[in-house]
Amino acid sequence: MTEQAEQIPQATIEGDLEGPVSPPRDNGAIVFAAPWERRVFGIVLALCRDGRLPWEDFRQQLIAQIAADPDRPYWESWAAALEAVLSTAAALQRDEVDEREHTLLARPAGHDHRDDEHGHGHGHGHGHGH
Amino acid sequence: MTADDVRAIRVEAVESLLVEKGLVDSAVVDRIVEHYENNVGPLNGAKVVARAWTDPAFRERLLANGTKAVAELGFGGPEGSMIVAIENTPEVHNVVVCTLCSCYPWPVLGLPPTWYKSAEYRSRMVAEPRKLLGEMGLDVPATKKVRVWDSSAEARYLVVPERPAGTEALGAEELASLVSRDSMIGVAVAKEPTP
Repeated sequence: MTEQAEQIPQATIEGDLEGPVSPPRDNGAIVFAAPWERRVFGIVLALCRDGRLPWEDFRQQLIAQIAADPDRPYWESWAAALEAVLSTAAALQRDEVDEREHTLLARPAGHDHRDDEHGHGHGHGHGHGH
Repeated sequence: MTADDVRAIRVEAVESLLVEKGLVDSAVVDRIVEHYENNVGPLNGAKVVARAWTDPAFRERLLANGTKAVAELGFGGPEGSMIVAIENTPEVHNVVVCTLCSCYPWPVLGLPPTWYKSAEYRSRMVAEPRKLLGEMGLDVPATKKVRVWDSSAEARYLVVPERPAGTEALGAEELASLVSRDSMIGVAVAKEPTP
């Protein structure tokens, strides 16, 4: 497990994680306010680690997304950058994501938050298997 | 549906498609996030300090060979090859700076804070440590000596703060929660336990 984590091209990513587009931190640790934030962070790093997404491509897109909407919360820009870079690389098109989003929204009660948003907190029942 | 729910579903849509296309493995995503949350940050150093507070033999090993001792807790790697632990005492307060760049015991403290790399901190911590520490919120009593350590690639210093009074009954985890990143750089002391 540790061995795999060490295969992340750390020299590049660690260097950028403290640069001008670095994630929010508290006491040195990266801060995630919601489960989707840690998820989208991990997806990008997983793609980079496997060599499917050059870190620099993502970083440039993140810089562009932050510049385009400086007041947008950091992790939303990060998520937008991921979608943009995947679309540019023709790995995943926006309409595919839209379609899947609608499918997920149509899940029966208990699997989404449409009907129970007042009943449960966030981050439960998304079925990520962790 | 809250804005967070909307974002969560959008991200889930992206992830599920990437998984289906064989571009991402969700288990790998889990491991990477856990790695960044648990392995790369000052909590590592806090665990080392808490252990040194409670285990005199470990404390001796830590002060004798920091790199080897932190490896016992599973922390290490290329950036941690030269960790040197220095201990605060009632007589001496230690503080770390890297006057040349930003040498830092990465495996135990994570990435250095921005101010650590600033020209102001690097020069003033050497020229007028007591004054700068005061400005950063730490007044070191006049009776206590301030010792400034210049970190380098050959020696990346980790300060072991003094154990606060009234913590005899606390367990390792509670003790670690008192140890901030700043206290291990030496610009703060360990937190007092909340009664």
